Amino acid sequence: MTELTLTGLASSIARREISAVEATRACLDRIARLDGSLRAFVTIDGDGALARARALDADLAAGRRRGPLHGVPLAYKDLCHVRGLPTSCGTKTAEYFTSEVECTAVARLTAAGAITLGKLNMTELALGPFGDNPHHGDVDNPRKSGHVAGGSSSGSGAAVAAGLAYGALGSDTGGSIRLPAACCGIVGVKATYGRVSRAGAMPLSWSLDHLGPMTRTVRDAAVMLEIVAGHDPHDATSSHHPVGALVSSLDRSPAGLRVALPENYYFDGVTPEVRAAVEEAARVLGALGVGVKTLRLPDPAILHDVANVLARSESAAIHARVVRDRPHELGAAVRSRLEVGFHISAHDYLQAGRLRARLAREFVAEVFAETDAVLAPSIPEPPPSLADVTAGPVDEIVRRMGRFSRLTRPFNALGLPAVALPCGVLADGRPLGLQIVGGPFDEATVLRLAHAYEQATDWHRRRP
Amino acid sequence: MREADPGRRQAQGDVAALAGTIERAAGDLALAEEPSNFAVVLEAAAPRD
Repeated sequence: MTELTLTGLASSIARREISAVEATRACLDRIARLDGSLRAFVTIDGDGALARARALDADLAAGRRRGPLHGVPLAYKDLCHVRGLPTSCGTKTAEYFTSEVECTAVARLTAAGAITLGKLNMTELALGPFGDNPHHGDVDNPRKSGHVAGGSSSGSGAAVAAGLAYGALGSDTGGSIRLPAACCGIVGVKATYGRVSRAGAMPLSWSLDHLGPMTRTVRDAAVMLEIVAGHDPHDATSSHHPVGALVSSLDRSPAGLRVALPENYYFDGVTPEVRAAVEEAARVLGALGVGVKTLRLPDPAILHDVANVLARSESAAIHARVVRDRPHELGAAVRSRLEVGFHISAHDYLQAGRLRARLAREFVAEVFAETDAVLAPSIPEPPPSLADVTAGPVDEIVRRMGRFSRLTRPFNALGLPAVALPCGVLADGRPLGLQIVGGPFDEATVLRLAHAYEQATDWHRRRP
Repeated sequence: MREADPGRRQAQGDVAALAGTIERAAGDLALAEEPSNFAVVLEAAAPRD
């Protein structure tokens, strides 16, 4: 049963072929069997999930379907405030984060009928791309044990890939949805900045944070995104721009759309198998009638600096208390990255914010006059050994973190929608990752391209 | 006086380099440019259905 997709399960439950209780028990059984070694979950709410499943089954028997996710078990990154469950944010403190409002994205999924299985492991304070955690254990990669699961939404990636949940929420400040999606061979969506409410989720950097779905297929991601997207009065940066019909536009032919492979930066230092897989993805889309060209993109070097100044300043301000009062509770690399923010001046922070506006204006005008979407790798190499990337001096680990997330970070600074999805599998089981990046609020186009590519290939059908 | 620890010196050096890059790039920003224009850019470029 856990082999079903989120939409497949939702349909089976709606037809009453499978009950919500059966689906929930299947997930809980699988968690009991596999999570001892995967360490994807921090909190498992088995009793709560089964009670909710029984109520939803009774509703359906009485002819009441709550919404498109009626009876579907999901799980949430442990920085989402879910009523009744603690939120550690990957720290040593069980209840590090609380909020007056429940995470809006979780509340909307629940209103659509979803069942909460529990909370998912993550890199401490969402700071780090590898999925290691000194307090809750390192998340293992279900595709290749001992290798990086990706971070910071590491538990979300592993749980969905391993069939412990039908979908999950992650957060992405510099790639934290797309990196674990790539490492675990699943789909992850970082929508346009402002598209998905951040209310009720621990902030790392309010200028760069995004919440989004992580699933096994593009259609599943579109279903979740359509539910969680849209204006929220609890988030001051939430957009009023209409969400539109993301799911129903998936099956429109992509013929006539234009995609571009970057001529600069995004293939520099990328391993040959990753480059070949992304170029092959472009060829597949070309065969579907999509126009493919190469394009020189505005230099992302300054974008990295802008993102660094914003992220470091904001994260140091937000998490100053733990850094100053309880620094011994933080991992060395996390503490080191946070402390940098204390040294950035207000002048530099404001200049970075002003620069960001200009860089986004230039990028959108130059790039989307020429193409509808950009294709690039999500990660520059197949998931590496976790022991290798977390060994050595802190400075070296921090540099490795920067290299591993350098292909995703620019699109946080630009606020553009990006879908990460698998585009290959090595003989040893490690997946390769593609990201498709679109114009502002054009999630429909990136999802449509991703769905067309996915349907023309079979990477999403490969199970760990 | 106590010497700053190597980690802190490294962090201060990194920040100084970052600040220099930002200041050079921001040198020719329009006077009217402000951080909230970022959201304006995104909204203005959104598809019109």
